[in-house]
Amino acid sequence: MKERSIWWKAYLCVLAFGFVCSMAFPVDRPALAQAKEVKVGNILPLSGPSASVGQQSKNSQDMAIEEINAAGGIKSLGGAKITMLYADSESKPDKGVAEAERLINTEKVHVLTGCWNSAVTYPTTAVAERYGIPFIVPVSVADKITAQGFKNVFRIAAKDSWWTRDQFVFLGDLQKEFNAKLSTLAFVYENGDWGKGFAEEWKKLAEKGNYKVVMDEPYPSTATDMSPLVQKIKRANPEVLLLVSNAADAILITNSMAEYKVKPKAIIASGGGHADPSFLTAAGKSARYIFDIVEWEIDVNKPGAKEANAKFKSKYGYNLAGESVDGYIAMYVLADALERAGSTDPAKLRKALAETNYRKGQGMIVGYDSVQFDNTGQNKNASLVMVQINDIGKGMERITVWPKGARRAGYKPVFPTP
Amino acid sequence: MQFILENIINGILMGSIYGLAAMGLTVVFGVLKVINFAHGSLLMVGMYVAYWAVILTGLHPYLALVIVVPVMFLFGYFLQDIIIKPIFKAEKDVREPITVIIVTTGVWYILDNLSLLVFGPQYRNIQDNPLRGKMLEVAGMLPSVPRLWGFFAALLTTVAIYWFFQKTRTGRAIRATSLDREAASLQGINQYKIYNLAVGIGTAVAGIAGVSLVPFYNIFPSVGVLFDIKCFIIVVLGGLGSMGGALLGGLIIGVIENVGAQFMAATWTEAIVYGLFLVFLFLKPSGLFGVKYEW
Repeated sequence: MKERSIWWKAYLCVLAFGFVCSMAFPVDRPALAQAKEVKVGNILPLSGPSASVGQQSKNSQDMAIEEINAAGGIKSLGGAKITMLYADSESKPDKGVAEAERLINTEKVHVLTGCWNSAVTYPTTAVAERYGIPFIVPVSVADKITAQGFKNVFRIAAKDSWWTRDQFVFLGDLQKEFNAKLSTLAFVYENGDWGKGFAEEWKKLAEKGNYKVVMDEPYPSTATDMSPLVQKIKRANPEVLLLVSNAADAILITNSMAEYKVKPKAIIASGGGHADPSFLTAAGKSARYIFDIVEWEIDVNKPGAKEANAKFKSKYGYNLAGESVDGYIAMYVLADALERAGSTDPAKLRKALAETNYRKGQGMIVGYDSVQFDNTGQNKNASLVMVQINDIGKGMERITVWPKGARRAGYKPVFPTP
Repeated sequence: MQFILENIINGILMGSIYGLAAMGLTVVFGVLKVINFAHGSLLMVGMYVAYWAVILTGLHPYLALVIVVPVMFLFGYFLQDIIIKPIFKAEKDVREPITVIIVTTGVWYILDNLSLLVFGPQYRNIQDNPLRGKMLEVAGMLPSVPRLWGFFAALLTTVAIYWFFQKTRTGRAIRATSLDREAASLQGINQYKIYNLAVGIGTAVAGIAGVSLVPFYNIFPSVGVLFDIKCFIIVVLGGLGSMGGALLGGLIIGVIENVGAQFMAATWTEAIVYGLFLVFLFLKPSGLFGVKYEW
């Protein structure tokens, strides 16, 4: 008995050692770093509640970096390769700030990017600003991130207020197209920076558009049961339900709404959890007819978009989502700026980023035509599309419906929800 | 006012599942006198085992219990035997072995991250199971069928564990160890074996809770964290170590969540739950059914 337990321990030790080794020294990593490299620090939620979307951002950025490096790296820097250093924020602001300090001081990164969650990005950009390190924000959409007067923050995605503005423009167009009158709205949103930011804008827009708000409800994304919330929606009985949700709660709310047979005439979501590829598989039929606003959809009519998506899907097993595309193009914008700066010096790189006018190249798979930053660091050309989730014979998919010019040929949106 | 009745029913159904989730924690604490911080992760493991059992065999989710319960029991048994027991032995002279608590925290992190590594971060659920999305329609109210099953699973599990502890020889040995481990050892009870059994049972119960959640819930690597804190609160409300207490604590939380949310923002019901937790810690730290004496 005694002897066996010793062998057990020895066996476990060997296993554990092997495991640690395989984690610490992946085989395919070159033994020595190249003579010249550009270090990019990337802070993402790789564990915790946003791990799923964090991982997707990581995958798309990895794919872009691989492509850039395989194509010869940064030529003006003598073919320097881009090295990505990941840090896990666990969706916690304090963790994000600490990791930014570490990446800048210990790892000596040249550029920072991240952090997906607006609540993490907001304080973390302040760290980058203090050290004068350029910070490329692919997707955190809270307005205040580019309203801090910072010189080193560059955001690819459209900001909050543009999302809400477009949601209401869509709402107006929908009523015109179907000759319907919608008057009552319900706002249901996660109680973080992101959700609250949206709700504030919604309130102003509802007032301007003469809509009546029958429900205005924040909820914790970590709630284990969404049925009380759904029953509350049922009693408020709105014609239009506007949602801001992370993935787990988006799935729970959608499923609970199907269970309790809550059917507003239109449900308009705000990307995030609703745009997560696992939302479609996990919510399935319950997700049918939801409208969702996003920065990108796979049926976008752009050269290279289909190929990029096919490559991504074969690599990671799911489609590119709008947010992954922002991560993807962000890396190409960075490579473009590095190429023009011809230096990893933060000040020169910042100047090159500010002068960005990225029009063509492998990364240019978005719906709009060029990436240019205004003087707050916001990509002023970023635009949005509205999709409807529906099954038209090929399983549940996201179909672009708005703006009308971008609508998938032959598709007519379903309204009101049958 | 019918909606309040509907919400109370819903609260009771969901609350019983919370109680079931917390029951494993209370069993382990009752015997080992150690807060098992890995409990949420064990629930997560239980959900994944149930998920794969249903997906691979096509069984009815509750029939998957025949796979989940033994697998989870063995998992818990050997987790205790291989990883926690050596620490226990090293600390055997200490009344409240604090390092064991730290080890369970380590187990929590390892399990969560292993499942992130193995299964990936995506949200899974079982689309085609006979319980999914089913609702009973009673007098205009809509209680959820999978939650009703969860409610009965919780009741049956509570009764079964209670019976096992009261009526069987092993159960009595477990209770003896929980009352006084030295005295029990003197009677010839192998306390470490009892600990293995207790953790095995606690883990198997977490597996049952996993099964009752799988028909309507999402499965993802950090799902345990959502339930973890809730389980601690429930166990303190009900009294650490008490089965019935865990069930009742779960019901209280479930009803507060469901009824409270109708009158205030859902964020506030969380505040009420935590407030209640504090009140209990001040006024009745042993909980509703907890025993007050010193171990």
